[in-house]
Amino acid sequence: MADQVEFEFKKETIAKLLTKSFKDSKTKVSGDAVVLMGEILKVFVEEASRRAMKQATAEDSEQVEVEHFEKILPQLLLDF
Amino acid sequence: MDETFADNQRLKAAVHFTTGQICQTIADDGGRKFSRQTIAAIAETAFRQCDTFAKDLEWFARHAKRNTVNVEDVKLLSRHSTALFTHIQQRSDELASAHQEQKEKRKKSTAKRKHQDTEDDPGQNED
Repeated sequence: MADQVEFEFKKETIAKLLTKSFKDSKTKVSGDAVVLMGEILKVFVEEASRRAMKQATAEDSEQVEVEHFEKILPQLLLDF
Repeated sequence: MDETFADNQRLKAAVHFTTGQICQTIADDGGRKFSRQTIAAIAETAFRQCDTFAKDLEWFARHAKRNTVNVEDVKLLSRHSTALFTHIQQRSDELASAHQEQKEKRKKSTAKRKHQDTEDDPGQNED
């Protein structure tokens, strides 16, 4: 039985995302650091959607809407 | 200028795509759908958060007088939340031990090869 596939960000995407934001063009990223950043970003997105869904459940809403996400956003940003 | 803008849009699209997949998995086991705008908002937040992360990482590396961001910098980045920190620590340990294993395997195979062609070219496979 194939369990749910774990979706992850591609290593290439993460590496590009990071290097484009570096001020100094000499700055590089090690391979393991890229893998771990992918993990952090995945946790961030998962946490965002889980909290938004919890908010939607609390408000007894059928669908998770932007307003639910807006409500959990400040605490989410403080936690990362 | 136009080139970087296009690159940026492509990166955003990539983040959006994976965010959509992750949201779908969570929607499946939570029994509630995500509106398209919510997914877009989460993707945009992740994208911008990544920008902050990158800047932090660069400063961490510079503070350690390095030009390369490494695992230690990422661990420092995850300090705000204890749970995340332990999780990242665990993952980094896993990665480190995987590397160690690979190294040992390589060492063994090179030793074997050396043994086979005895003293043909000594010291070629030295690290």
